[in-house]
Amino acid sequence: MNWIVQYLWLIPALPLVAAGIIAVSKQPHRKLAASLAIGSMGLGFVLSLMAFLATLGHHGEHGQFREVYNFNWLQFGGQWLQLGWVLDPLTAVMLMMVTFVGSLIFIFSIGYMAHDQNFTRFFCFLSLFAAGMLGVVIANSLLLLFISWELVGLTSYLLIGFWYHKPSAAAAAKKAFITTRIGDMGLLLGMVWLYAQSGTLLFYDGGKGCLENDALVRMVAQTAATGMAVTTAIGLLIFLGAVGKSGQLPLHVWLPDAMEGPTPVSALIHAATMVAAGVFLVARVFPLMEVTLDSLAGNADGLPSTALQVVTWVGALTAFFAATIAVAQNDIKRILAYSTVSQLGYMMMGLGVGGVAIGMFHLITHAFFKALLFLGSASVIHGCHEHQDIRFMGGLKKFMPVTFLTYAIGMLALAGFPLFFSGFWSKDEILHAAHGWSVSHWPFYLGCAGALLTAFYMTRQVALVFFGSYRGGHSHSSHRSGSDLKSADTSAHSKEPHESPAVMTVPLIVLAACAVLLGFLGTPWWPAFQGYLGQHHGSAGGVVPLMVGSTLIVFAGLGLGWWLYAKRQRKTADEPDVLEVVRPDIFALLRNKYFFDEAYEKTVIALHAWFARACDFLDRWVWGGAVMLVSAITVGLSWLYRATDEFVVNLGFDAGCKGIRQGGDGLSKLHTGRVQNYLRVIGVALVVLILFLVWGRKA
Amino acid sequence: MEVLKLAAPETVLVVIALAVLAVDLLALRGQPVSMRFGIGAAVAGLGCAATMLMLLGRHAHANLFDGMLVVDPLTNVVKAAIVLLTLFTVLISTAGKFTEHVGEYLALILLATVGMMFLVSAEDLLMIFISLELLSLSLYVLTAFNKRNIKSAEAALKYFLFGGMAAAFTLFGLSLLYGMSGSTNLHRIAEGLAGKGMDPLLIVAVVTTLIGFGFKVAAVPFHLWAPDAYEGAPTPSAAFIATGSKVASFFILAKIMMIGFAGAEGSAAWRTFISGWMPAMALLAALSMVLGNLTAIAQTSLKRLLAYSAIAHGGYMLLAVMANNEAGMAGLLYYVITYGLATLGAFGVVQVVEDATGNDSIISFTGLSRRAPALSLCLLVFLLSLGGIPPLAGFFGKFFVFSAAVGADGNHLGLLWLVILAIAMSAVSFYYYLRVLKAAYVADGADVTQATNMMAVPVATLAALVLLAFLVVILGCAPALLMGLLQAGDQVGH
Repeated sequence: MNWIVQYLWLIPALPLVAAGIIAVSKQPHRKLAASLAIGSMGLGFVLSLMAFLATLGHHGEHGQFREVYNFNWLQFGGQWLQLGWVLDPLTAVMLMMVTFVGSLIFIFSIGYMAHDQNFTRFFCFLSLFAAGMLGVVIANSLLLLFISWELVGLTSYLLIGFWYHKPSAAAAAKKAFITTRIGDMGLLLGMVWLYAQSGTLLFYDGGKGCLENDALVRMVAQTAATGMAVTTAIGLLIFLGAVGKSGQLPLHVWLPDAMEGPTPVSALIHAATMVAAGVFLVARVFPLMEVTLDSLAGNADGLPSTALQVVTWVGALTAFFAATIAVAQNDIKRILAYSTVSQLGYMMMGLGVGGVAIGMFHLITHAFFKALLFLGSASVIHGCHEHQDIRFMGGLKKFMPVTFLTYAIGMLALAGFPLFFSGFWSKDEILHAAHGWSVSHWPFYLGCAGALLTAFYMTRQVALVFFGSYRGGHSHSSHRSGSDLKSADTSAHSKEPHESPAVMTVPLIVLAACAVLLGFLGTPWWPAFQGYLGQHHGSAGGVVPLMVGSTLIVFAGLGLGWWLYAKRQRKTADEPDVLEVVRPDIFALLRNKYFFDEAYEKTVIALHAWFARACDFLDRWVWGGAVMLVSAITVGLSWLYRATDEFVVNLGFDAGCKGIRQGGDGLSKLHTGRVQNYLRVIGVALVVLILFLVWGRKA
Repeated sequence: MEVLKLAAPETVLVVIALAVLAVDLLALRGQPVSMRFGIGAAVAGLGCAATMLMLLGRHAHANLFDGMLVVDPLTNVVKAAIVLLTLFTVLISTAGKFTEHVGEYLALILLATVGMMFLVSAEDLLMIFISLELLSLSLYVLTAFNKRNIKSAEAALKYFLFGGMAAAFTLFGLSLLYGMSGSTNLHRIAEGLAGKGMDPLLIVAVVTTLIGFGFKVAAVPFHLWAPDAYEGAPTPSAAFIATGSKVASFFILAKIMMIGFAGAEGSAAWRTFISGWMPAMALLAALSMVLGNLTAIAQTSLKRLLAYSAIAHGGYMLLAVMANNEAGMAGLLYYVITYGLATLGAFGVVQVVEDATGNDSIISFTGLSRRAPALSLCLLVFLLSLGGIPPLAGFFGKFFVFSAAVGADGNHLGLLWLVILAIAMSAVSFYYYLRVLKAAYVADGADVTQATNMMAVPVATLAALVLLAFLVVILGCAPALLMGLLQAGDQVGH
């Protein structure tokens, strides 16, 4: 076994230790905290690189490198619960991405959080998050994955609510945690069911794992309640966890609100890594999702499994609907948040229609350009004195040249600008696969419409932020709050925006370079990435016309956005949006996110509140009374015992002790005291026990 | 020669005990107590460490003189655990101010350890009784070691008289056994008793044997000595009685019951009582759990509280004995060893606080988290482990024991009523553990002056306590470390 496989656990363990040390160090030790966090991530990146290199050279039995390290964790009954980690291309790619993007965002945070009082706490949470995320990535057991998954959810909660004194941040943190919990419930159920069916939670275990052929053959043959295969049912439950974590319909509501956290957190957790964990989970259990009786029989032309069909539909719908919402938002981070939801939808769709490699390729490219966009927006927000409303920006091109250039690269990558940007290649792969999907063409149409909208809203955003003239400062009074914590000290009316320090711009430049270069690893003519993930590209036929088509779509979106927002720049911040003038009703619907939150408020939450009140009543009066009664009895009994012990048993002895203290003939009294009481008990016990056993013998 | 080779760890410890005595009496006369303790503890500690290495390093299987000295992997692990506990006891004694007779004190601790090790190795009634007496006599003296404190003498006398009486019963029971079966070897006794049924003589033998070991493990109603002894004895002695001696006693109790009285189990299942050692033990276990936990609630002295909690834990461990199979044995040993680590740690904390404030009442722990943060963190780990909070070792101990008792073969959930009682009672136990932690962490502010001064914590003690807390956490996170050893030993042993 390769040594790196054996020591793969070091990659998540390093940030975990860093988080532990930071947690116990004192608040002023900022340098220590930052260097520990960044050092552990950097070292993790080096190790990940080595793991990656190890996967390149060798090939396993199925043409793909895969080595596992399993160990016994604890025993119950006759069974050992095993945990372990796995190194395969999927793990290696995610490790590289998480540690690399993570390191850059950590470095960026030094600049962004420089003035925050709780700097050390921030880095403690960041490191803890990194540990959890890397744990998800390397886990070879659904249980270990679930543990890390929950750790990631916890840190996400802590970081969204990092500025917990802001009520909106505290509420957003709660919302994120509870919403993802609903999905996790499904994941947990799926996990339990999987264990009941296959007897193991290890993914790969030399032929005995739950994702390997034996277990799959066994499970696919059984049917659950509604006639679907057990694998499909389990796959769907696990997918529910992914829906929660990756913000898919209908559990997407938490992700835009999560932007209340510090912006580097949004970049790391809610754009690049954690929200992608859902996509990764589906990719990890892909063998379980895709298996059908047809595919086992070697019939490759059969319909895709129900689970994958559901994944595709959910992804396609999410991709389209989130893109429409993003059109009508004004908060720079919320636009990016909805775009993240939309892109995650693309990834899910990619997994559903095209398999692991296509979905993962978009995940990786998206991680880079979306982290870039978020950090760029952080730089903008930092430069504009904590304003987040794009109507109050404008003309930043000349104030922040580096930010502008890198942001433009990120935006073009996200929009899918042809040939030179990674987003083009990865999105095109998905659309191409969707075009060839045997079930329905609708996901393809939805994807194309989403692409058009993506190009449109990103152009709108860039035009409003960077072009025209600066609109901040004039109408400060009408500024809608909803920005970061430090909005309190934005009294500087006339201050002009400024460029950010080098510690913030350098990570932007590195990410921008990656956003361009990564695309060339996965072009249809040289599919290095897809080949590495073990999936050989299907027919390259029909790629070129499709590419021309998607290029036209992207240009249409860009042109429309440019024509509506850059040609005719708005003069003041209060002017209504161009689209709002044309169709106010639809625009309002989009701005209010199809009233998802309100609908939930009226139905699920209202029902829940009623139920909580009922439970409260039950708890307070029925159970509470019972507990009070029991506790009163318990306390009474214990006093009784104490009294017995002290007064009945010890009384004679205490009398003896008094005798000693008075200098009398203590010893003999002591003797009688104890022997008569303590030893008498032995005698009584002897008789009672013997009688008890003799009685038992007769019975 | 083979005796010497197989009993080498015991021999080393005896030699070390004599060496400690000699060094202290010859070379260190007139030196300050702390220095004598330091050097003595260093010698004793090195001896313990060497013994542990010898124990864990050998893989021999041997049975000398028909069960007088049995060496197999399982006994090696148990002995190593006992020596480890001794080592920690020595470490936390070093800061003690209770005696000037350092050499004698350390030598007695080591001799008691030797007694435990022989006890663990014995499968013969005579050897069991002799090593039991070696152990008990050393412990009586250790209890009385604080000569300036009248309570110490009083506690020792109580302990001694109670112990003497119990030993007499045991001897009576053992002689009956010999009379009925014609042998003193446990396996042979089981053969001799087979098919005789529960005649009254056997009942008397079972009950008297139970009394003797019930006294050692402080099961109700043979527990009366324990609170007084724990309270009166010097704290390290109390810790030693509560931990190392428990490990050895439970191991040998389980062995006698499972091997010697095989065939005389009876049944303790709900409503199907059949006479035998099981129902008697079930009675003791139930009484111990209920009385130990409930009485602990009313205690104000932490040492007495730990004594009652020890009684309660003894009740849980009797459940594992009643499982009467390999899983029960492994679970019992896991439980008693991790319980020993946590209890030793808790006593260590008590020792430091007692030295600093003059008494061990719960009030003197007020504000400990501010006066000695590291110390109170250790206390937190120990008490939560005793309470059974995951992921600490105590949780898995309870888990293994309860699951062994529920799943015991042939009983078909017969012991479920006891397990339910045990779980309910361990919920009660949180109340008094958390009361101590509440005093330590949520100070009432009544003792503001006391609560603000930093407390001086001896370095050796603190190091030992941190190490113990670390062990408790590690064994909780990776229970397989110890469980694997115990099961491997168990499977080979049977």
